[in-house]
Amino acid sequence: MVELTLNEKKLLVVLGSMGTADAAVLAEKMDTRREAVVQYANLAGERGLVDVEKHVSRRYTPTEEGRAYIGKGLPERQLLESFEETIPMRDLQSHPLAKIAIGWMRKKGWIVIRDGVVQKTGKTAPGPDETAFARLGENGAIGDGVGVADLAKRGLVQEEETVAYTVSITPRGRELLAEGLDLQEEAGTLTREQILSGEWKDLPLRRYDVTKLPKRAYPGKVHPYQRLIDEMRRILFDMGFEEMAGGIVQSSFWNFDALFQPQDHPAREMQDTFFLGERWPLPAGYERVRDIHEHGGETSSAGWGGTWSAEKAEQCVLRTHTTGLSIQHLAAHPKPPVKAFCIGRVYRREAIDPTHLAEFEQLEGIVMDEDVNLRHLLGFLKEFYAKMGFEKVRFRPGYFPYTEPSVEPEVYVDGLGWVELGGSGIFRQEVTEPFGIEHPVLAWGLGISRVAMLRLGLRDLRQLYRSDVEWIRETPTYGGRR
Amino acid sequence: MAIITLPYRYIERLAGTDRQTIIDRIPMIGADIERIEEDHVDVEFFPNRPDLYSPEGVARAMRGFLGLEEGLSAYTVRPSGIAFSVDPGLADIRPFLGSAVIRNVNLDEEAIESLMALQEALHWAVGRGRGKVAIGVHDLDTVTPPFRYVASPRDRSFVPLDFEREMTMEEILADHPKGRDYAHLVENFDKFPLIVDADDRVLSFPPIINGELTRVTAATKNILLDCTGTDRKAVMTAVNIICTALIEAGATVETVTVDGEEMPTLAPAERVVSVAECSRLLGLSLTPQEMARLLRRMRFGAEPDGDSRVRVLVPCYRSDILHDWDIFEDVAIAHGIENFDAALPATSTVAQEHPIPALAGAVRSVMTGLGYLEVIPFTLTNERVLYTNMQRDPAPGTLRLLHPISEEQTVVRTDLLPLLMEMLLANKHRELPQRLFAVGDVVEDCTTYQKAAAVSIHPAADFSEAYAAADVLCREISLPYTVTESADPAFLDGRRGDIIVGGRIVGVFGEIHPAVLGTFDLEHPVAAFALDLRAVPGYPVPPGTP
Repeated sequence: MVELTLNEKKLLVVLGSMGTADAAVLAEKMDTRREAVVQYANLAGERGLVDVEKHVSRRYTPTEEGRAYIGKGLPERQLLESFEETIPMRDLQSHPLAKIAIGWMRKKGWIVIRDGVVQKTGKTAPGPDETAFARLGENGAIGDGVGVADLAKRGLVQEEETVAYTVSITPRGRELLAEGLDLQEEAGTLTREQILSGEWKDLPLRRYDVTKLPKRAYPGKVHPYQRLIDEMRRILFDMGFEEMAGGIVQSSFWNFDALFQPQDHPAREMQDTFFLGERWPLPAGYERVRDIHEHGGETSSAGWGGTWSAEKAEQCVLRTHTTGLSIQHLAAHPKPPVKAFCIGRVYRREAIDPTHLAEFEQLEGIVMDEDVNLRHLLGFLKEFYAKMGFEKVRFRPGYFPYTEPSVEPEVYVDGLGWVELGGSGIFRQEVTEPFGIEHPVLAWGLGISRVAMLRLGLRDLRQLYRSDVEWIRETPTYGGRR
Repeated sequence: MAIITLPYRYIERLAGTDRQTIIDRIPMIGADIERIEEDHVDVEFFPNRPDLYSPEGVARAMRGFLGLEEGLSAYTVRPSGIAFSVDPGLADIRPFLGSAVIRNVNLDEEAIESLMALQEALHWAVGRGRGKVAIGVHDLDTVTPPFRYVASPRDRSFVPLDFEREMTMEEILADHPKGRDYAHLVENFDKFPLIVDADDRVLSFPPIINGELTRVTAATKNILLDCTGTDRKAVMTAVNIICTALIEAGATVETVTVDGEEMPTLAPAERVVSVAECSRLLGLSLTPQEMARLLRRMRFGAEPDGDSRVRVLVPCYRSDILHDWDIFEDVAIAHGIENFDAALPATSTVAQEHPIPALAGAVRSVMTGLGYLEVIPFTLTNERVLYTNMQRDPAPGTLRLLHPISEEQTVVRTDLLPLLMEMLLANKHRELPQRLFAVGDVVEDCTTYQKAAAVSIHPAADFSEAYAAADVLCREISLPYTVTESADPAFLDGRRGDIIVGGRIVGVFGEIHPAVLGTFDLEHPVAAFALDLRAVPGYPVPPGTP
């Protein structure tokens, strides 16, 4: 049989002489707390060595209001005794207890009120509530009984629950006791001295119960969303991409004009984009971008026509995509090959709800090289999505203002079907030509909070940014992928 | 986005195929199916293809894509003899007018609805909310040519559409629903645009409302079209798209003479494009014959021009064709995006981590090692959280949004610590201790840089815990520092220190001030620190500033 703990043994010894005892009494004898005795008794109980009986008893003690009436009687009794057979209602109402007591006197049938005069009915014998209340006065507390419920309902007494435990030794316990118990103290911890001296060989170490759950510990953790971002970064590093990073605030020039977004495009209105009061001077050579907009510059493009406004281009915005960083990176590195990516926060002027946020992360990849073409764009997309765990990918024609051709990738998700996941295309020549970029630029991007929702099983995107600590604690670091 | 309703019966007749083929294939010309209903399908088309904003335009494209009818739709026009004059006084108000006469229209209930829907979609996509272009259609037989487009005094009155009494143009802006919606487009001018006939009767007050006089009904046989605007090209795009859609529906178009110019011609534009350039961009090896055949499926006129070029006739309604590559995209669509073989290029490249995310990664490694949980707060916040609650003065470089969408998000964060305090409040009901950190972007003036910050809340959180955590982070990211007593009002006096690097305060740590705990409704001490990561040796100069 399983080895008893020392405390269980001590409990059996004490019970050996008493047979049955209250836990509080046992605690006194064993020089410990009652709660500890109950714990030892439960352990020994599971082994069939003792029986533990739990007695729950209720008692009632007076509330603050109740205490005020003790010795004087319930308010209706006090009021009843304040007058003889009759009294004018007006006079009775001036009594301090009148407000509570008149109603009760009527309810109990002690009085009738006729023409403004209060008349005793004669049927004024004390009811069970008063009897119980009197006992309360004598004893300070009362048990369950007739009339007590009425007092509780009136808020004059409150319920208190007391739990008592009776422990008795079983025949099996007695048997074991008769066989003799080793009462040598057990060691809770192994000390340096015991290890060095060899004393550990004879040491009775307290045994642990392996069926008991451990205390729950939580490690420090990287946020689940950041882990997903790092996974994507890792995939792009594996594919030979260089990482880009840059500012949240961009001039309209880099965010829109350099990407051939016409100046009257709806995305450039204040309904869709967060504009700032700040302005930023245009870079050297901005005229080439102006010419592209006005008449297509030196390309085969007709341009948007009209007059391009430098003032509009200087206005600062919170970046609506990271594509402005891509074009700046390409402008700084116009020689092929360039393979670069960026994961960064972007901003849209949207009202916040479970699936729309005013800020969220976007991933963007660009590839510029001699002779890259549409087939390579599809190749990079397939490879990237496959590494992300989306094996089935298909492509449809798309539209984005700064790419031509444009392609919309869709991935197959079990339970959801085909899900549109990002956009892609080849940068228009109107975008690349002003910066001296002579080769095609493949580009694709996706909102990665979308992926996070699929992966982390979120219903509300806000959980990513205003996280419940419990959710972070309970989301596993590895595996558990949906 | 423009969502176009395609009634099956109508589109089947126009396209010459069955509904299932249309539903299956329409996404492959560039569209999203919105919903499939009993008698119609709603389809969303891209903003660069307003020519697809009508069942007639969709049918024209589908007939080509499905190989039922290829090449250019030739549209012929005859002169109507009707003249229109434009008042030079409109030069600064709304200078451009496009017009046409459309005869023999057959307008049942459905056709009127479809025409109105096309008009509305064009107002949105081409007209930019009627500012750039506004469209009016009139029953030609109710008025007498020639017509005049004039700058009129604002007190001129007429009966606007949907009303029974005469109103002045000023009254219309104040009281007519359309007037209220679009008043902002004209209200600052001394005079208003107006179209009148030979008898000075009012056809329209562009871009606001037509007159009741020329209302188009099921009985209308002949239409006068007016498109007014501020951009000539956009005005003519609208004219061309409406005229060709109505021709597809069975009508005929006649020209109008606007200040001596016959319009519309509905003639295609010519572009000669390189086959090799197209093949290179798409990764195909095309012959001029193949390329021309694919383009004819997209309803271009296209013939080989020698052995390296294709001569392309671009239909007048294709306003999206700005550049040769726009034509190449149509070659790709005709080839079928799903028919391209995906491939990876052979060029070898070497990956490179950016130093800023690399540093953030190091911070994460240290802080999680200390038992802290990472959080990723919003970057948009407000001055109450950022400054008032923290008992701090606003940073001078704080960026304020010009048009915030809520009171909660009005500025860009300049610090992370207040957002961590907010995060503790949000998690007040969760088990203590809670140790949280964040590393990420903050912005001052227009410069983005990174900070790290951490908070620890539990009954025994104190100065020593904050100091130890700040110290270990600095040591682990190789940042030598000194410390002086801090004056940061967010922290408790005598229990706060500034982190000094190169004589500059770059961080702070200590016990959060009890009054600050109060503003965030927290009930236990908080040990905290914040660090400006620009202090770290080798920190890169922030790139990508505007």
